[in-house]
Amino acid sequence: MRQLVNWFRRKQMDRDLDRELQYHLDRRITDLKNSGLPAQEARKRAMQELSGIVQTQEEVRDIWLRWWLTDFLYDFRFSLRSFLRTPSFTITAVLSLTLGIGATTAIYSLVDQIVLHALPVRESERLVLFDWDGDWVGNGFGSWNLMPYPVCRDLDQQKQFFEDVFCRALTPVNLSIGGDTSPVTAEIVSGNYFPVLGVGAAVGQVITNDDDHAPNAVTVISYDFWRTHLSGASDVVGRKLLVNGHPLTIIGVAASTFRGIDVGEVPVLWIPASMSTAVVPGLNDLLDRRTFWMQVLGRLNPGMTRQRAESGLQPWFKAMLQEDMGRPGFPVITAERRQEYLNSSLTLTSAPQGHSPLRRQLSDPLWMLFAATAVLLGLVCLNVSGLFLARASTRVREIATRLALGASSGRLTRQLLAESLLIALDGGLLGIALAPLGVRVLIAFIPRGISANALHAGIDSRLLLFALLVTVIAGIVSGLAPAFQSGRCSLASSLRERGGTAFGRVRLRKIIVTAQIALALTLVVGAGLFVRTFDALITKGPGFVTSSLVSFGIDAMRGGYSNAEGEKMMAHVEDAIHRSPMIQKSAIARNPLLTGGSWNNQMTIFADQRIVTDRLVHLNAVTPGFFETLGIKLLAGRNFDDHDVSPPGRPGWRSAIVSAGFVKRYLAGRNPLGTRICLDRRPDAKPTMEIVGVMSDFSYRGLRDDTEQAYFPFYEGEHPFGTFYVRVRGNPEPALESLRAIVRSAAPTLPMTDFRTLDEQVHRSLNAERMLATLSGSFSTIALLLSLVGLYGVMSFVATQRTHEIGIRLALGARRWSTIWLVLRDGLVMILSGICIGLPIVLALGRLIESQLFQVKPWDPAVIAIAILALSLAGFGATLLPAHRASGVNPNDALRVD
Amino acid sequence: MPPSRFPIPQGTLDMLILQIVSLEPVHGYGIALRLEQISRSVVQVNQGSLYPALHRLEQRGWLKAKWKQSETGREAKFYSLTAAGRLQLTEERNSWARLAGAVQLIFDEGSGS
Repeated sequence: MRQLVNWFRRKQMDRDLDRELQYHLDRRITDLKNSGLPAQEARKRAMQELSGIVQTQEEVRDIWLRWWLTDFLYDFRFSLRSFLRTPSFTITAVLSLTLGIGATTAIYSLVDQIVLHALPVRESERLVLFDWDGDWVGNGFGSWNLMPYPVCRDLDQQKQFFEDVFCRALTPVNLSIGGDTSPVTAEIVSGNYFPVLGVGAAVGQVITNDDDHAPNAVTVISYDFWRTHLSGASDVVGRKLLVNGHPLTIIGVAASTFRGIDVGEVPVLWIPASMSTAVVPGLNDLLDRRTFWMQVLGRLNPGMTRQRAESGLQPWFKAMLQEDMGRPGFPVITAERRQEYLNSSLTLTSAPQGHSPLRRQLSDPLWMLFAATAVLLGLVCLNVSGLFLARASTRVREIATRLALGASSGRLTRQLLAESLLIALDGGLLGIALAPLGVRVLIAFIPRGISANALHAGIDSRLLLFALLVTVIAGIVSGLAPAFQSGRCSLASSLRERGGTAFGRVRLRKIIVTAQIALALTLVVGAGLFVRTFDALITKGPGFVTSSLVSFGIDAMRGGYSNAEGEKMMAHVEDAIHRSPMIQKSAIARNPLLTGGSWNNQMTIFADQRIVTDRLVHLNAVTPGFFETLGIKLLAGRNFDDHDVSPPGRPGWRSAIVSAGFVKRYLAGRNPLGTRICLDRRPDAKPTMEIVGVMSDFSYRGLRDDTEQAYFPFYEGEHPFGTFYVRVRGNPEPALESLRAIVRSAAPTLPMTDFRTLDEQVHRSLNAERMLATLSGSFSTIALLLSLVGLYGVMSFVATQRTHEIGIRLALGARRWSTIWLVLRDGLVMILSGICIGLPIVLALGRLIESQLFQVKPWDPAVIAIAILALSLAGFGATLLPAHRASGVNPNDALRVD
Repeated sequence: MPPSRFPIPQGTLDMLILQIVSLEPVHGYGIALRLEQISRSVVQVNQGSLYPALHRLEQRGWLKAKWKQSETGREAKFYSLTAAGRLQLTEERNSWARLAGAVQLIFDEGSGS
């Protein structure tokens, strides 16, 4: 141990050596001078005698190093030999640590990839992401941090803060190469995107500002796509692709490491913003300042801070708000709303990891799992500690002998630490070897479309470093208790202990087991809460019958159809589906269900008083058969019919069906039918629609949804796209094929997106919950087992030690149950104190996981009671067994032991 | 003038240092002075090898060191024997005695024949 400390105190040691040698020199020179030598001569002599200060220093340093190394190697050799002598101990300890380190590494791999990993671009730490905080007065599509394209150009002029500002938006497109059409993700980018990020081309060139000044039908494809779909053809530059029916020329392949700036969605191709009106459905004017659809990112100037840039930009931003209000096309709004608009501000967040909706969705569950694995790893370390202590108690004689032979107790302590480090290293290496398997299991919980190209299960250098760090920490923590114990044992006490009781050691083992029980309790309660949440969501269901229900999306614009053609095509597909013998019912909804997203807005209700909804109402447009197809009950009023389609030339809906929750929240006690509403919250809003029906609540965005909904008739929209919901007869498998054939014959170039059964859709929407429930469940099972093993081990030891005492008691006429109680009491004290320590931790941590729970509080008494009961019963069992065995001893045998 | 001086035998320097330190805590220069007294009469000790030896003994846990005020008033590093060092010294002394005795025995036999 001292050598280890020396290692860190190198500087101090060097200084001490200098001082020591200087003292020698000075004394020698003084003595030599006193004996009559001239000063200069004396100095020279003194130096000579020491054969040079520098050389002496070097020699001493060599000794430090050599000694440290040989000791180290000796310790390791010695440990190895002693491990080989006790294989069951070694295997148990190594496997526990493999489990702990492997699980921690696997979870960290995802945390790193999704949450922490900076983009592989130039100086990613200087990237910031802009957000408009306040009322846009505009239309948005996309998710998070939406901005209009012209604002990006304006920001790019703010050179006192930013080197450059660029923007991008992800959009799904239909990509056709050589007659083959598939839905892929494209990233629309401003011309400076690649240069600012410092990303180059693997082949050809990247998009530059020149491509963005005027529409230029070019594209850059991703390296992966080039390899897999174009087999890495060297003549790829100059080839043409069809994107939503528009021909684009490939000008290059992006660098192999670059996969866009969103971890969750890897684009297959990049398209200059100048082309966006052609390839993004619904976008009519790129320069429209009221259309919010892109994320804007900037690179701060060197030395510029995010805060200074943010406050420095506000005057410009306020001026822009004023100026925008005067522009033609700015909506007419009330004074109140104008104030909200003018109060908007521009915020900047640091964005070295880019922009990722997946990160927003998964970072909380991932951190929770990471915390759970950390607790598990702690428990594993305690377990290994306990094993070491148990082993040490059988090595009392060896240790006493070594002490007698002159080994210092520090030396023994170091030996024990070396042993635990060696065990941890074995466990760590095995854990690292198994981690990719774990990562693959984890990735399986994430929707396949995302995981397939965005996440990988390999071990990179960052992960390796993390795993090694964890290994060393685990080794030190596991070895701490045994080392502490041995540090306190003296020669005399060790010899005295021979065959006798080792109370100090047992006490430490008891403390360790108590801590294990406390940690296990937190994991078991956490798992209970997540399982309850998952169970509650499954039991609740989406509110409609999912079996034999299939859905798929089509978007006519992305097939290059005009609006009229598209509507005709959609009608044709619907017709063909209706006629198919395999299908019971079908309907179309504008937006898909259970995908996490929705179309939403605030509404105004004109009841006996004017009510503006206090939260967003989630909206959808559906064909008349929708509720019937999904099996959603109409509680009052009527379904949509042909009358609800507004006459041509008068756009907008006239009728709406609202959810029971909507009525309960805003129209309680009133007759909702006939109530007039509108899709606007402005004071000047006019009542345009009438509620014609009320349907029962069902899930729109996800199973957790408890929001109010309003539905409008389909076929009123601007451009033909939608999700078909089809109830098939019997088994969905054969029906899927016939549906695919129907769409292919009606629209050969149009791919079906998200083609799956609703059961699968429900399953997908619960990915995070399933991941939390399954993994925390397995972790807590392991934790429970580990602490039971620890408890059992200590109790067996205690029972064996007390055999003699029990024998005497039995011989003196004690009842058997009273001797059982003697041992049992010890175990129960540990279990109870473990629970008492664990409970406050559970209560403290509860708040942190609250956001992920559903229909269960973090302090749910039932969950906590069950966890305590399970832990106590299992612990009781683990205690009873050794107690029972000890009490069964024959007094004669017990007394003869010594 | 000492009649003849021979280089100190391998390994005996450590023993000598342990012996000197065993009498009382002493700093490096003090040990050097004592060694010089010995070497003036019998053996020759290179002062340059003193400090590496001291540190080696310290690392082995036979010596412990402490910074204290020396007789001149300045701080110096004083070495003293640890329990293990005392054991080691006894052992070395014994084995030295045995070795010397054995060698003597051989010489005696040689002169007797």
